[in-house]
Amino acid sequence: MDAPADAQLILRGIHEAGITHVASLPDINLVDLIDLLEQDDGLVHVELNREEEGVGIATGVYLGGGMPALLIQNAGLLNACNALTTTALAFEIPMLLLVWYAGHIGDNAFMRLGEVTEPVLAALGIRAFIPADAEAARVLLPKAATLSRMSARPVAILLTKSVIRRFAA
Amino acid sequence: MKRIDCLTAAARFISNQLVVTNNGGATVEWASVGPAESHLQVKTLGLCSSIGLGLALAVPSRTVVVFDGDGSLLMNLSTLPTIARQQPPNFVHVVFDNGVYEASGGTPTQTADGRAGADLAGLARAAGIASVQVATTAEAFTEQLRSALASPGPHFIHARVEPGRAKVPPMAVDEVENKYRLIRHIERSQGISILTRPRPASQR
Repeated sequence: MDAPADAQLILRGIHEAGITHVASLPDINLVDLIDLLEQDDGLVHVELNREEEGVGIATGVYLGGGMPALLIQNAGLLNACNALTTTALAFEIPMLLLVWYAGHIGDNAFMRLGEVTEPVLAALGIRAFIPADAEAARVLLPKAATLSRMSARPVAILLTKSVIRRFAA
Repeated sequence: MKRIDCLTAAARFISNQLVVTNNGGATVEWASVGPAESHLQVKTLGLCSSIGLGLALAVPSRTVVVFDGDGSLLMNLSTLPTIARQQPPNFVHVVFDNGVYEASGGTPTQTADGRAGADLAGLARAAGIASVQVATTAEAFTEQLRSALASPGPHFIHARVEPGRAKVPPMAVDEVENKYRLIRHIERSQGISILTRPRPASQR
């Protein structure tokens, strides 16, 4: 069976953004996209065990001439805050953070995570964008990659159930 | 054995490799004996092996050598199965295990006798890394590193060293200058362009 259209649109956006390496940890809503990444010969997919590693891998990829993205939950974003601060921000490393936005409106769990996600990103000085749907995410991805490169720091795209979801509403 | 003796020996034959060093004594010691252009310091405890893995994946034609520490690896043990899953042939992970958090006051780590006595080489093997060596003398270390550089990896070398940092100068460059220095080195040596700038709108 073909992957759902939302996962395919986001994968298209990842390619249009010039992303060469994606490091990921799953959320149930990201499983279709992660399957597509694993099958894709046009980029390198790195399966993580903890998100902070991903910031390091993304840093090495960028220094070596690639353009990296992380695909993680907002819980993992919190796990990665020290690496984001003392590596990505301190060394001025571009990378895209594609973050599943648990606890956002429309979700029914992890409300404390939802409450702190945007304030934490703001405190880190990492700009965050919330696309309305998967097509908007596709269009946003190349622009976010340019913003990340030109500002020499991570840029976040927060993924809600309006953008990608495992099960129909 | 001392870490500085291992690094001094390694500097005699490390030239074309990219080198990433743990935020601790390995950074300033390597900076004092090894080539500068290919060297990246690290500021996040635990992250040097992850940064080295990313470099190895992005530049498959160059070998990446990581000089890690015991406290650092213990903080990011999840790096080991991640490396094992990727199997980068151009990746050499050296861990200098002195049994203490040297840069933060000398408190023992869990590799120390009288603490947990955690076996880093055993952890690497158990994580799925096939090439694992243990060195307790500078001569053995030198031979293991030479051999690792000459054969496909990933390789893991567990080097047991005594605590103590050599009296060497501080890093000459900050994080951002270090980033640009390394990128320019990779651009020149690989013949690629990494730091591209857009043409101004008025000149399109």
